Amino acid sequence: MHTSLVRIQNAFGFFTTVCFVVAAFIAASDLITPRAPSGTIKTTNVQVVRGRPHYYSTKKEEYAILKFSLDADLSSLFTWNTKQVFVYVTAEWPSAGGSSTNATNQAVIWDSIITSPSADHLQNIGPAAMKKLVKSAAGKSIDPSRGKLSLKNQKPKYQITHPTGKIASTEDVALRLHYNVQPWVGLLTWNQERDIGLWSKMKDGVSKKFALPAIKKKEEEKKKAGNKS
Amino acid sequence: MLNSLSNPRQAASQLLNFGLILSTAFMMWKGLSVITDSPSPIVVVLSGSMEPAFQRGDLLLLWNRNLFFETDLGEVVVYEVKDKDIPIVHRIVRKFGSGPEAKLLTKGDNNAADDTELYARGQDYLVRKDIIGSVFGYIPFVGYVTIMLSEHPWLKTVMLGIMGLMVVLQRE
Repeated sequence: MHTSLVRIQNAFGFFTTVCFVVAAFIAASDLITPRAPSGTIKTTNVQVVRGRPHYYSTKKEEYAILKFSLDADLSSLFTWNTKQVFVYVTAEWPSAGGSSTNATNQAVIWDSIITSPSADHLQNIGPAAMKKLVKSAAGKSIDPSRGKLSLKNQKPKYQITHPTGKIASTEDVALRLHYNVQPWVGLLTWNQERDIGLWSKMKDGVSKKFALPAIKKKEEEKKKAGNKS
Repeated sequence: MLNSLSNPRQAASQLLNFGLILSTAFMMWKGLSVITDSPSPIVVVLSGSMEPAFQRGDLLLLWNRNLFFETDLGEVVVYEVKDKDIPIVHRIVRKFGSGPEAKLLTKGDNNAADDTELYARGQDYLVRKDIIGSVFGYIPFVGYVTIMLSEHPWLKTVMLGIMGLMVVLQRE
């Protein structure tokens, strides 16, 4: 019972048990830190165009470009266990033919990855920018401005289409802000519908409902219509 | 080792012990599969398409039951394309409709384009049954051992050899 092999085994077993328990404590520490995210979002420019939305699209379809302004404060989501926060803005609208309470069509129009200083070295940026970023946050507590977003008339990253190919004149479209917190160890969490324990749900974060316009008419038609009147 | 050979009963009980350990491990794996309703409840991240969230070698815990909520936009899911055995871990970025027939589109955080090109020919969207699990928990680095084992197969033989040696030498 005192061979080196047994000792190594015991030490390794103890090591893995300790690792597991410490990881469980770190994951649980997330539950006792309060969260209070908030955000306001509104559309600034809405267009519906008929064309090829992606380079691989084989046919023309209608797609919508929704520019928006966003002001959000997600700084309370950054704890020592946060690896990154994935922020995304979705457009949601109920499907035609009357639906129940939940929006049944959802599409992401914009997303962004905000890394916590502990994960900065994993980002996809060049070596000079990386050095600058890591140095700016080294040895300090997490800067609250990391979680604060302020975008004005932001161009969306993705255009939205519908499987039917038609999206013009859709009613009751709303933009909503979401986040997904990725921890170093533990459970992935998303924005929640209601307050759970110390975590509050997002204050506001939804835009007013609006309708998508009809497709932009071509310039000649507009001019003709202008001349006639 | 020679001791056990001269005593066939001991050799048999050693073999049985070994078999019991193997089958217990297998039962635990399959039990976890049943509880989570996923064919593979623990997966290792193989590619960098979800960086910086998931690195190669991270372990993901999957859950495939929709008890309280439907699989929604923004969730990170593991799916397999029809006829291809490669599981892909990406995020849902479009959802049209609701229920099991809802059309879903996925995209890796680190990819510029969505996954339309990865789907089967003629398939533009996924449905719920293409998804084999949704990521709810995450443990970093632990899975790197399996990546090393699959990329350097000689490591497997070395490990089995060491394990076999330990089991045999243990009988004092």
